[in-house]
Amino acid sequence: MSNGDANPVSAAIDRALSELREGFLPRFRAAATEQALRDENAKILGKKGELTAVLKELGKAPPESRKAIGEKVNALKQDVEAGFQTALGELRRKARQAELDAPPFDLTLPARTPVTVGHRHPIAAVREEVVAVFRSLGFAVFDGPDIEHEANNFSMLGFPPDHPATDMQDSFWTESGHLLRTHTSNIQIRAMTSMKPPMAFIAPGSVYRRDDDATHSPMFHQIEAFLVDKNVTLAHLKGVLAEFAERLYGPGTPVRLRPSYFPFVEPGAEVDVGCVFCKQPDGTRAGCNMCKRTGWIEILGCGMIHPVVFENCGIDPDEWSGFALGMGLERIAILRYGIPNIKLLFENDPRFLAQF
Amino acid sequence: MKASYKWLRELVPQLTASPKELAARLTGAGLEVEGLTEYGEGAEACLLVSVVAIRPHPTKSGLRLVTVDRGGVQQEVVCGAPNVPDPGGMVVLAPLGAHLPAAGLTIAKRAIGGVESEGMLCSESELGLSDDEGGILVFPSAYAKPGTPFVAMVPNARDTVLEIGLTPNRPDGLGHIGLAREICALYNFPFALPKADRSPAGEPGTSRIREANVATKDLVAIQVDDAERCPHYGAAGAVDVVVQPSPPSVRYRLQALGVRSISNVVDITNILMLEWGHPMHAFDLDRVRPTSAPRIHVRRAKAGESIVTLDGVTRMLVEDDLLICDGEGPTALAGVMGGATSEIHVGTTRVLFECAWFDPRGVRRSARRHGMHTESSHRFERGVDPGDVAHVLARAVALTCELAGASATKGQVHVQGARVSDEAAPPSRKTLVLREARIEGLLGIRIPFADALSILERLGCTIAKREEGRAEVLVPTHRPDLGREVDLVEEVLRVHGIDHVPAELPPVRASRDIGGREELASRARTAAVALGLSEAITFSFTSRATLEALGAPEPTVILKNPLAEHQAVMRTSLLPGLLDAVRNARRHGERDVKEFTIGPVFLARNGKRPARPADETLPDERLRLAVVLAGERPAWLTRPVPFDVWDMKGYAIELASRLSGQPAESAAFDRAAIPRHLHPRGAAKLVVAGQEVGAFGILHPDAASALELDGEVLVLEMELDPFVAGPKLPAFSAIPKFPASPRDVALVVKDGIPAGDVVSAVRAAAGPLAEDVRLFDRFVGGQVPAGHSSLAIRVVYRAPDRTLTDADVDAAHANVVKAVSERFGATLRA
Repeated sequence: MSNGDANPVSAAIDRALSELREGFLPRFRAAATEQALRDENAKILGKKGELTAVLKELGKAPPESRKAIGEKVNALKQDVEAGFQTALGELRRKARQAELDAPPFDLTLPARTPVTVGHRHPIAAVREEVVAVFRSLGFAVFDGPDIEHEANNFSMLGFPPDHPATDMQDSFWTESGHLLRTHTSNIQIRAMTSMKPPMAFIAPGSVYRRDDDATHSPMFHQIEAFLVDKNVTLAHLKGVLAEFAERLYGPGTPVRLRPSYFPFVEPGAEVDVGCVFCKQPDGTRAGCNMCKRTGWIEILGCGMIHPVVFENCGIDPDEWSGFALGMGLERIAILRYGIPNIKLLFENDPRFLAQF
Repeated sequence: MKASYKWLRELVPQLTASPKELAARLTGAGLEVEGLTEYGEGAEACLLVSVVAIRPHPTKSGLRLVTVDRGGVQQEVVCGAPNVPDPGGMVVLAPLGAHLPAAGLTIAKRAIGGVESEGMLCSESELGLSDDEGGILVFPSAYAKPGTPFVAMVPNARDTVLEIGLTPNRPDGLGHIGLAREICALYNFPFALPKADRSPAGEPGTSRIREANVATKDLVAIQVDDAERCPHYGAAGAVDVVVQPSPPSVRYRLQALGVRSISNVVDITNILMLEWGHPMHAFDLDRVRPTSAPRIHVRRAKAGESIVTLDGVTRMLVEDDLLICDGEGPTALAGVMGGATSEIHVGTTRVLFECAWFDPRGVRRSARRHGMHTESSHRFERGVDPGDVAHVLARAVALTCELAGASATKGQVHVQGARVSDEAAPPSRKTLVLREARIEGLLGIRIPFADALSILERLGCTIAKREEGRAEVLVPTHRPDLGREVDLVEEVLRVHGIDHVPAELPPVRASRDIGGREELASRARTAAVALGLSEAITFSFTSRATLEALGAPEPTVILKNPLAEHQAVMRTSLLPGLLDAVRNARRHGERDVKEFTIGPVFLARNGKRPARPADETLPDERLRLAVVLAGERPAWLTRPVPFDVWDMKGYAIELASRLSGQPAESAAFDRAAIPRHLHPRGAAKLVVAGQEVGAFGILHPDAASALELDGEVLVLEMELDPFVAGPKLPAFSAIPKFPASPRDVALVVKDGIPAGDVVSAVRAAAGPLAEDVRLFDRFVGGQVPAGHSSLAIRVVYRAPDRTLTDADVDAAHANVVKAVSERFGATLRA
């Protein structure tokens, strides 16, 4: 049998296959949507599709030509499949491009904040920072109560019984005869009467004095720091103060001590740091209203722990020495953030708190 | 303390430092100069001129045209003062160009009522010499050559005043002599006390002491009953006194220092107080009763006694008050203020000066008790020099001779306990031992011992004995603050210069936290801030009424001397302060408040043992955290909705979980146990590991109204101390390898059945395969019958070791539906 002896069935199949081969690509290209493309593909390759229909005729073809037809069908099937994938890719690319080319989102709409973060109170922020500085130097925190025995607050610290600070005018007394501590120096006594030196402690906390005016709040905050060991000197105190100023107010901040008087230290001094408001690029101070044109701002009081304090706590002042320093946190916060009025610190206005 | 630069220069002639330089040196030595002010700046350019002629102003009544002679040159000035002297009298002319800061003007040529005036005749107030505006300054004719610069004639009309903020341990600095001694020590100048007859104006001794033929001790009988409160009472007298105004030199010296010039005798006491720092008193001896035999009696007040002090106030006295009395009654509150009875007046001719030493603590008590703070009490409280009494009295009498033409009475009277003498017994001086090694040991700087001792000598100490590395130092009587070796070390440091001490970081033997509350508070703060809350710092005191309105425990700490009723007790709840913040914010129109506060509450101990037995009598201070929510929850592009109690539940649980490191949950209160400050419908306790740690909910409307808060406010208050040990560490659990099988179920339940109970029942019924049970929707209305709600619950099933089959899950889930329908009558939603 020659090829010329075309069996009519085989010829019909051949014709149908040729038509499909000619037609499938234009048909795919004409599909405008993915669904239309899939539908078109199903019309050809689906269970009731055109190619499937052709295959069903295969049985009627002469057995000797079935193999060749089968190969043709398979080849076409693969080509249709590949054509479909190409057309699909093209459709998707177009759709992606159309999406990319659409007008942009309105990013001027307000942000959706993941969490509205809250704010540390400025006094707390300063408190944590100061505590961190001293912790890094080896100091630990010693807790103490706000309501205190007179002795821990005054007499053990060497305040004479008639000292003005001890009377009803300046300090808050309770009906049971205790008082609201007037400074955090009470912790010196609590530490030194409960443990033996060496010790290096800080004591942050609330303190109370009977003053309520434009520049005073009846409750405010202090941090006391004290170091007791053998051979602690004023030079060590100056070293710690220099480090403190460096860390809190920036490298190179100068520190100045002025001799002063506190009953529980001797020698005692007040400490100024170079004014942070009028500092010039070359490190000098121009003088401004904040520092009263002096270039210096007072930040704390300090001194060498008075031998009387040691003796009151049963510590031999010839064997041990130490320094103590105390600062008001409100003052540091006020200077740090330029807060004009101490009262703002205690009103807890949300618009104030949100600034820190 | 106000100090006159001019006066200090008189006492320390070697001083060349400018006021500014001096101020810096004093400040560096611990005598902080807080300010420098110029006195009599306007006087600088002024001239003393004599009046030549006066004629009325052509157009303005009340003004006159005064022709003055300014030294050969005459000029006419317009003057409105009523007290222009007759021709010959001298006045002070501010010439063209003179700047008068006190009057706020610079003299310029100007026409007054059509008449040109090229100068001004000045009053004291215009020159900045006093606030006396009662007319121009007038001097007698021939007071000075016309045209003499005013300050050349009256140098004290120009001065620089140093405002020194003295620490209370330096009473010696309250007088110019003490300051001069300090300056000499600082600059290493020799120091000499002024002679008794040195003139108050600084001119060398012009006083000539005449002696009257009468002894002081015969003029007055002095009796001191309380030698403890008044260990030394000294007196000296002067007769033939002529009371008159002080000369300008004295007048301006006092006024530069803010002391009003009264009369020569009174001014003398003030000059001496400012010179020596030792307050004194002058009696008109003819008014000390009984006038036939004047008597001074120093004694304590009797109960019910009173005195009218010089300020016109009647003071009810107590037995602790020390009085200076005459034969009939109190004349002065010792060391604080005199009375009017024996005051110096124009007609006084016989004067008795008192110079005493009163116990500082007694003076302080009296001054405080009577609410008085005087120049005198200020000095006595700090401790005046007990060693200068005789010198001060001698000087007072000498000045009275000079300024008031008086004669001194013979001898002084000194009553020192039982000893009565015409000479003062010197007070004992303390001896201190200074060890050379102590200086370096304390300061960390080596100062040669000889230098150290020289500094002490310059300050008035005497080196009684010097041995190797050790000296015995006699402390001067004007330095009551030098009581121990360490005080001497400080003096050496001050004068040597604190700037010379190097800065060295110490080797720190590290300590460990005691108490742990700082870390605890810091962790709580971090957690709260991370959740979007802002920190309030609230007062520890509040009012009883506020605590009561909140149903907080009765306060156990009650202030004896509160500043105000709203700060009268220590809080037993943190809420008062936070609710104040809400009220304040609302007053300012801010309705949204999301704040927390951390701090102690002060509770009764109720048998709880303190860490230190000595603290048994102190209250139980517990660290707490409180949160307040008011206003609206932030939202994105939708209408914000008010905070509700589930917001607060979220904060409460999240805070407690973060602080404990364990799951926290809320639990219902028994109806009867609901805290009084919470709304009974919206209150819950906060529970961690079975322990109740706080309560949250809606603020009770009664409490809200009592505290004047409108709208719903949500509050949380929780204990922090249970978390002091730090959060429980998370333990790793394996990441599941097999897929989860979620199943949703919608259950219709009757209102009143708590959703939490339904979820718990589901969890229990779903068995061990249920990994998570969660309520994800709650629906009311639609096809859900009235009085019911539909709860949509997702149960996630998973096995750790295999993929669950549908059959496994179906079995578990069927159990769920069965259990909730049996227990709650719940039905599956159609």
